[in-house]
Amino acid sequence: MATSFKQIEENLKNEARKLLEDGKVSLVLAYGRGYDEKHPVPFVAKIAADVESIVFNEYCTANMARYLVRYPRGTKMAVAVKPADSRAVVQLIQEDKVKREDVILLGIPVIGMKNSKTGEVIDSKTTCGLYNPVLYDVLLGEEIHGQPVVSPYDVLAQYEAMDKDARFAFWQKEFDKCIRCYACRKACPMCYCDPCFIDQNKPKWGEKSPQSHGNLMYHLTRFHHLAGRCIDCGECSRACPVDIPLYLFHKKVARECEEMFGQAAGKSIQDKPVLVNFRVDDSDKILE
Amino acid sequence: MVFSDSSVLLKGKYMSFEPKILGIACNWCTYTGADLAGTTRLQYPQNLRVVRVMCSSRINPSFIFRAFQLGADGVLVGGCHPGDCHYNTGNLYARRRLAVTKKILEFSGMEPGRFRVEWISASEGNKFAEVVTEFTEQIKNLGPQTKFKIVQ
Repeated sequence: MATSFKQIEENLKNEARKLLEDGKVSLVLAYGRGYDEKHPVPFVAKIAADVESIVFNEYCTANMARYLVRYPRGTKMAVAVKPADSRAVVQLIQEDKVKREDVILLGIPVIGMKNSKTGEVIDSKTTCGLYNPVLYDVLLGEEIHGQPVVSPYDVLAQYEAMDKDARFAFWQKEFDKCIRCYACRKACPMCYCDPCFIDQNKPKWGEKSPQSHGNLMYHLTRFHHLAGRCIDCGECSRACPVDIPLYLFHKKVARECEEMFGQAAGKSIQDKPVLVNFRVDDSDKILE
Repeated sequence: MVFSDSSVLLKGKYMSFEPKILGIACNWCTYTGADLAGTTRLQYPQNLRVVRVMCSSRINPSFIFRAFQLGADGVLVGGCHPGDCHYNTGNLYARRRLAVTKKILEFSGMEPGRFRVEWISASEGNKFAEVVTEFTEQIKNLGPQTKFKIVQ
């Protein structure tokens, strides 16, 4: 039986208060109240009194691992992580962006998170389909077991079945909607490059204003940069104001990487990201 | 009135379609292999424009996307055989990276045949000529690349 959201919120507050009062961390990354219940916002608690503003409910979808890289190295931080978010932290540790000893993971096992825009329940279709965090220091609820195990890649079947022209038409239609607000980049815990390739002028990789060729360049390269690193939280698609299903492409690339290199992103802190690693016996078949 | 070269070529439909192929060749193997093909006077189509890079792992995947956007009909990447890299491990990284590039092109709807990676060593002038001939033929059959190309 899953712990209720109210109970998790209480546990989160207690744990955050304890950590801040003991001085174990200088900040706690969690969720705060937005303009209403349905729109919680990312929230940083820096003193024990801030803890009262922390909330947790089914609309707290934002990936708080995003904010880990914004603080100087060595800052002691605690972060509230849902299953996909914990993978993001693991991936950041693998990439040496944060140190394991600097971060305390407050794991939250969740089921039934909802998209605040559509009200739909978020399941394996748009996210990685895990119920329990892969890495945590404190678990703020009971572990969830006995749920049906669904592959997060099942949703791809209908797109893989399309022929290439239909697929191109589909993606062109989607990318043409893009207004280049870069919300996907801002919401993504793995997108921390400064400057981003698309912001560079020398070389200028692609058009910066929303035009179809620049959009194509931006998105394809972003998919490539996240290959083997995307932890499938689906936050890019939820952040998107024009609802481009970016998660589909990310899932596809993640699946190919998993099949070719035998390793999914953010599962263990001992792993190395697949594209900065190699095996001498990688097959040449992957290039066909 | 000025026609761009591709529109002139398109007039005669596919009969006179001469593809533009970007070749990205590693300095130590494929480029030297191409040199060998030249010095041994092997014939191969002139559709390939070769860019020399110091290693196949130097190739930023965006080069490939950008080449297609700027009108390349095909992209051929050449590197040393795995294990023979001048920098020991460069092409082993490149192999993984370019495999992902290929999957991305494929899922975005590009014909997979337009992008190819070949390992050609410095002594394989014959193989270089063969690969270029075969690849050019393949691109001719696929016709002009219009999906990624920027239309002004």
